[in-house]
Order: sequence, then C-alpha cells, then structure tokens
Amino acid sequence: MSLLEIRDLRIDYRTESGVLRAVDDVSLVVERGDAVGVVGESGCGKSTLGLAIPLLLAPNATVAGGSIRLDGTSIADLDERQLNRLRWTTVSFIFQGAMNALNPVQRIDQQILEAIRIHEPETSTATARARVVELLGLVGIAPSRAASYPHEFSGGMRQRAMIAMALACQPALVIADEPTTALDAISQDQILQLLRDLRRRRGQGLIMISHDLAAITRVCDRIVVMYAGVIVETGTTADVLGRRDAALGTIHPYTRALLDAHPDLHGPRVLAPGLSGHPPDLARPIVGCRFADRCAHATDHCRAVAPALVAVSRDHDVRCHFAVAERVT
Amino acid sequence: MSVLDDDVARRPGVWRDLWRDRMGRSGLIMMVAVLFVVLVGPMIFPFQSQSFGTSSASILQPPSAAHWFGTTELGQDVFRQFLLGGRISLYVGVFATVIAIVLGAGLGLVSGYYAGWRDAVLMRITDFFLVLPTLPLIIVLAALFGQSIVITSLVIGLTSWPQTARIIRSQVLSLRERALVLRVRSLGASNYRIMARHILPNVAPLIFANLVLVLSGAILAQAALAFLGLGDPVQVSWGTMLHNAFNAGAMSTGAWWYILTPGAGIVVMVLAFSLIGHSLDRVLNPLRRSQR
Amino acid sequence: MRGSYWVRKLASLAATLYATVSFNFLLFHVLPGNPVQLLARSGHYDAAARRQLVALFELNHSLLDQYVIYLNNTLHGNLGFSYVYREPVTTVLGSAIGNTLLLVGTATFITVVVGVWLGVVAASRANSLTDATVSVTSLSLWSMPDFFTGMILIFVCGVWIHVLPISGIESSGLASGGLAHVLDIARHLVLPATTLVLVNAAEFSLITRNSLVDTLVEDYVLTARAKGVSRRAIVWRHALRNALLPIVTATALYVGMVLGGAIQVETVFSWPGMGLLIYNAVEQRDYPVLEASFLIFAIAVIVTNFASDVLYRLLDPRVRRT
Repeated sequence: MSLLEIRDLRIDYRTESGVLRAVDDVSLVVERGDAVGVVGESGCGKSTLGLAIPLLLAPNATVAGGSIRLDGTSIADLDERQLNRLRWTTVSFIFQGAMNALNPVQRIDQQILEAIRIHEPETSTATARARVVELLGLVGIAPSRAASYPHEFSGGMRQRAMIAMALACQPALVIADEPTTALDAISQDQILQLLRDLRRRRGQGLIMISHDLAAITRVCDRIVVMYAGVIVETGTTADVLGRRDAALGTIHPYTRALLDAHPDLHGPRVLAPGLSGHPPDLARPIVGCRFADRCAHATDHCRAVAPALVAVSRDHDVRCHFAVAERVT
Repeated sequence: MSVLDDDVARRPGVWRDLWRDRMGRSGLIMMVAVLFVVLVGPMIFPFQSQSFGTSSASILQPPSAAHWFGTTELGQDVFRQFLLGGRISLYVGVFATVIAIVLGAGLGLVSGYYAGWRDAVLMRITDFFLVLPTLPLIIVLAALFGQSIVITSLVIGLTSWPQTARIIRSQVLSLRERALVLRVRSLGASNYRIMARHILPNVAPLIFANLVLVLSGAILAQAALAFLGLGDPVQVSWGTMLHNAFNAGAMSTGAWWYILTPGAGIVVMVLAFSLIGHSLDRVLNPLRRSQR
Repeated sequence: MRGSYWVRKLASLAATLYATVSFNFLLFHVLPGNPVQLLARSGHYDAAARRQLVALFELNHSLLDQYVIYLNNTLHGNLGFSYVYREPVTTVLGSAIGNTLLLVGTATFITVVVGVWLGVVAASRANSLTDATVSVTSLSLWSMPDFFTGMILIFVCGVWIHVLPISGIESSGLASGGLAHVLDIARHLVLPATTLVLVNAAEFSLITRNSLVDTLVEDYVLTARAKGVSRRAIVWRHALRNALLPIVTATALYVGMVLGGAIQVETVFSWPGMGLLIYNAVEQRDYPVLEASFLIFAIAVIVTNFASDVLYRLLDPRVRRT
C-alpha cells in the first residue's frame, strides 16, 4: 500500500470570472522515504495540489473528480473530526515560515506544543515540553530561544522553527510548500540541507513544492513539473537532469526553460528568462497544448490537439507531441 | 477602513460593483427614495405652519384620512412637517459633510504629500481633535455660538474632519512613494499638478467612501443636537420634531405616530448612507473582495 | 528602551491633557460668544451685579493672568461655581459622575462582550445568511440615534407593557444601602444600559467581523487548520487575539461615542448623571457646569485612549518589544 496515492485529481475554484480548474487530471504516488519535488510557476496548481491532500482547500475550491488515498484510506470518506485527527499526524506542512505562517502573537514553543497537545492529549506537559526542546534542537535552535515570538527570529530561524513544528507528531508525509522562498542564500542552503538530512534520518515521505527547480533537485529524487494545472513532465531527478542537453522530445520544452533559468545550480535564480508571456486563463476552455503559446517549437497540430502524457523511458513521462519513447532496455 | 490598492481606484466599475453588492444596492435604492421624498415631497404637500388647531379635537390625533401621520401637540400635520423636516436634516448633513470632507481631505492630502515637519504638526493637531468627544464638543459649541442651521452645520462640519484626515493621509503617504509620482515629478510637474492630477484621482474613491460615512454621522449629530433642544427653533428638523414630541409627552400619551415618523426618517436616511459606505468599503477592498 | 517608551508616552499624555484644559479655556473664556459675554449681554444684570460677575470670573485681570488663574484652579480641582445650583461645580458633579460611570461602565462591558461575540459568529460563517443578518442588523441599529432607540424602548417596555421603570435611578421610599435598594437601581439601569448596548454593540460587531474576516485568511490560520486545530479553536485561540488589535484601537473612539450617547440616553431616561447635567446646563445656560462636564468627558476619553495604547502593547508582542 502506497503512502499517498492520487488518482486523476481535479480541483475547481469558483471565481467571479467563472469556474477555474486549478488541478486537472493529476496522478501522483508517493512511497515512504520518497522525496518528490513539484515545480511550476505560481498559479500552476502546485500549492492547491498540496493543500488538497489533507483537504485544506479554500472555501471556494472543490474536488471535482479523482481520489486521494493516504495509507489506503480515501480522504473523501472522512468527516471533519477524522480529518483533524489525520492532519499533522499523517500529513504535516512546512509553510513559508519566513512570512506569516507562524502566529505573530503566540510564542514559538507554544505553537509547537499546541500540535502535540491536540494529537496526544495523554502526553504529560513535561514530556511534551521536553519534546519541543528536542525538536528545536534538531533544527539548530537553542532551548533558550524557544520562548520567543516569531518576530524575534530571523527569516531562516522562523523557517527552521516551522520545520520543527512539522515534525512534532512524527508524520508519515511532510509537505514543504515553498520552504526556501523569501530567504537569503545562506538560509536557503541551511534549509535545503536540513530537509535532506531529515529525510535520510527519519524516512518519512516528502513532497517539496517550489517554483525553484534548482532547490528541488538538491533535495528530491523525483520531479513533477506542473504547468497550467496539469503535469507536463515527471521522472527521476537523474533522468530529467540527465536529458537537459538531449534532443527535443526526451524532455518537455517547459522543463528545459526552467532548467535553462539555472545554468549553474548555485548561480543567481531567475525564473525562466527565455520564457515570455503568461500561462493560459484556466477559466476558459483550452484547445490544444497548454504550453503552445509560449513554446518555440509549437506547430498547428500543437495548437489544435492536446498532447497526452507519454512514457519516454521507464518512470519518465512527458506531455508533448514531440515526445519519443526510447528503447526500454 | 481598509487600505486601498491604487489600481483599484482607477477601475471604472466601482459603481457597477456597488450596484451588484446587495448592501450597496439596498443603500442606493433607499437613498434615491429618501431624496425623492425629501426634495419633491414638500412641493406636493406644502407645510402650513399657521394651520394650528388648539382644540383638544385636533392636537395629538392619531393617523386619519385628513392627517395621514396624525397631528402634533400644536395640531399641525405630522406628515407635512415630516416632509419639510427631512430637508432641514439633509441640508445640515450635507453642508456639514462638505466642510468636514474639504477640511479632512485637504489636510490629509497636504500632510501625506509633504510629509516631514508639516505632517508631524498637522497630525499632532488632528490627533488632538480626534480624541475630543465629538458630540459633547458639538453640544458645547452649539450652546456657545447659537443654533441656527448654518451655525449647526458649521459646528458639526468643523468637528467631523479628523478621521477623514487620518485615512486620506495614510493613503497619500503610500501613494507618493510610487514610481508614478516620482516619474512625473522628475519631468518638472508642480506639486499642485501632481496632487491634482495624480494623487487626488487615486484617493477619490476613498474620499467618497468616507464622505458617505461622515454624512450619516453628521445627520445623527444634527438629530441629537436638535433633540437636546439645540436645534434651529424656526427650521424644524426631524430631530426637532422628536424634541417636541418628547417634551409634549408623546410617549406617555401613546402618540406613537409623532415619534415613529421622524425617527424612521432619520433611521432610513442614515441607514441608506451607511449601507453605501460599508458596501463601498467592501467593493474597494481587494482582500474582502476576493472573499465574496 | 522600555523606560524611554513610558517616559515618552506619559509626556504625550500630559501634553494632551494640558492642551485640553487650554482648549477649554479658549472655548469658554476667549472666543467671542463666551458665556461671560453672553451673560453680560443678556441685560438681566445691573451694574453692581455685573461688577460682581466680572470679579467672579476674574475678568478684571489680563487674559494671560486669567489663563494662569484658570490653570491653577483646574489643577486644584476648583471647577467654578454653578449659576443654577448656587454651589461649587464639583459638588454638583459629585454624584453625577458615579451615576454615569455605573451606566456607561455596565453598558460598555455588555457592549464589548455582545459585540465581539456577534462579530465572531458573523465572521465564522462569513457570507452566510447569519453573517448578512448580523451585519444588516448591526448597521440598522447603528443608524438609530441613541435617544430614538431609548424612546422606543420606553414605549415598548414602559408604556405598552409595564415591566421596567423608565425614568430615574431609584424609586422613592426605599431605604438606601439595602439589597432592595440595589435591585431597584439595577432595574432602573436595564433600559438605559440596553439602549447604549443596542446602539454601540453594532459598532463592535462590525469591526470584529471585518477584522476577523481579514485575519482568517492569514497564513497562520492555514497553519492552524493544517495542524488539526478545530474550527472553534482557530477562531477563538488563533484569530481573535490578532483580530482584537483593531478593536482595541476602536475602543478609544468608542468612549467618545458612548459619552455622546450617555447625554442622550440620560436625558430620555432622566438618569441623574453627567449627561442629564449637561442637558440641563444647556437648557439653563449654566456654563460653569457645562464647561466642567466637557472637561471631564474630554479627560475621560484621553485617559481611556492611553489605556487602550497600553492594552495594545500587552496584546501585540511585536509592539511590546520594539
């Protein structure tokens, strides 16, 4: 049984300009110990996908189709209380802690303590407190700083505190949503290092969501590239990176644009400078390939017929008319 | 009130959004109805102040075919007095609001635009007036300076500006830093021109939203003043009618028509403007907008 | 750093109080239309009386001297002499201050509790029918003049169904101090306090609702949801404390409003407090009483403002330690 199994997931938002399909036919499997990176521009549906897993969608969003199974349980069958019990114990989040993900009027230790209190009411206060100190130690925050308010921490420290909080209830799956955004280069480095270490040491599943492909390649062993609500490419990090200089058809043009944005993985980050224009308006029906308008290789066929996700090799799928399967050995 | 995004200010659809919002639409409809009754009503049903009837058969009479909303303690027709009284209430409200908005928006613009020591001095003064209890201050001023409707308007207007000044100032302060303003300034445009052409249009919707709320406050203040006996004795407003009703013992004698008629007038008039104001706040606030 | 904050804050408080007293002097003693001129002009006074009046108000001194005398008197709690009661103003104010405190204090407590609770109910079901009902009801009540709300309550509870006393603070013939007396005052308090609550709770519920709706979309609320915190706990434990900040700020403005309301409500219900005193002072042009009452109201608002600043600091750690 897989830790997480998403099948043909569709998520709709009701907006003033009509119904918008933010996630369209997305399937994804995460096993224990896996680290999967979901990459794409803002608005491509990657955060919505993450929030959908423990059903944390905004009030105007609905699951319009497909299924999400956690440890074999379909979350659609759970009521609010069961969902609350599952949240943080099975799936926890590392949000953008540098910004406003921590409550500004509560102390850091109280916020971590709250998670333990809710899910393990039988644990004594002393034990819970000891665990908070231990968790903070794990991310390199001294016990003397535990009783601080978020604004007393630097952005990097807040993000590390957020990671400590995410681990409080030993979740099987951790979803890190833009964990390095808005941090300086050194803090980003620390956070990525921390995510890698934690994965190796604790063995839980990790989904890292980011617009930063370079950051993802440093942590994850599998990459999912999303564009305008659909998966356009998925494969092992080695596969995707290994084909960056290969011919058209073994890698999606969008992925290539994202990779070209980072010629050197430690260099300055610019989001796809070769890419002009915007993703299509998801509130309108889309004909043909969603990327066609921004693709240098687009043909009339691309603009008329939507491509399917094609396996180019074992565990490597590309949604492009130019995609050609390699001889599988 | 919430912070506006300046792009929203230039959106043409504010009126349309107001009409689409249920609160906004109710407010607009009520406003048009009140304006019609108050502005056109007295032309159709003029008030004859001489038509006193002092016999007990004509004073404080309940509604009848002859007197739709009953009669006053002096035997006057409540309906006709109501129509005329609305004009006075509206007149004072509008006059006072114009003063308050010109003062408040003007000070806010100057303070926010020039910043620095001018801002510091002006805001210090604004904050002082902001903490003074408004209605007691209005009462004191009216008691000292008189109670004609012009003085009442001046008194209310001169005490109702600080909040507007505060709100406009903070908005202008955030606007002046924008590239737009800096670019225009580098081309040698005068301060006056920048303020009139670039800043004022951007704060205009905010001023308007504020104006509606100041207006409802001014109408309430006038009513309270008149009720406390500080209204114009010649120009009978809705507040004055309630003052007369209260002193004539309308409550103990059960003359509900004499209380409910002017009272409902005030409530509907104030509610119309408050609904519009609150709806504007929602329409202009992008955050709450996305919530709908 | 902490010390210097309090020094600055207290200095600012003192400056505001000083400005208020000076403003009062300007209003009542300098500006044309001041009470002394009005009295002298009214012509009821012969030469001797006028001389007495001039001496009484220290008008034989220069304006600056008058100002100094005024400051000195105010500082020593000498607020003048009432024309009507023929007593020192402080004596006249004595019991009235307590009665107004009782009325406004009770009303404020209930207003905050009811208003915040309604705002929370509306915000937790944002954009539902409950929300719309609370918002529209709040706005409608807010649109009613305090005195009109009071008159309606008198009509309903006092005239149609005789359940509650509609006038005064106590019934005659009860020995003071006993339980019966306390209960009697409480019964008299119900309608005027309810009036103030009805009008002002609206303000709090609207501010709470809007502030909470804005807070509930913050990232840390999503974090709390992800942690499995129940809806109720999210609102009360995570969002409300943040949402309370604008409410604390609004309290300062509220005090100015409720004192204006107290004047109207005390007039309608003949509640023997500062408001009724002001009403009578206006009617009888008892300027020293009016002057002192206004000064006390202004000082009350300024001190409450100061208190709300302090409370804000306690509630928001970001302000507290910077």
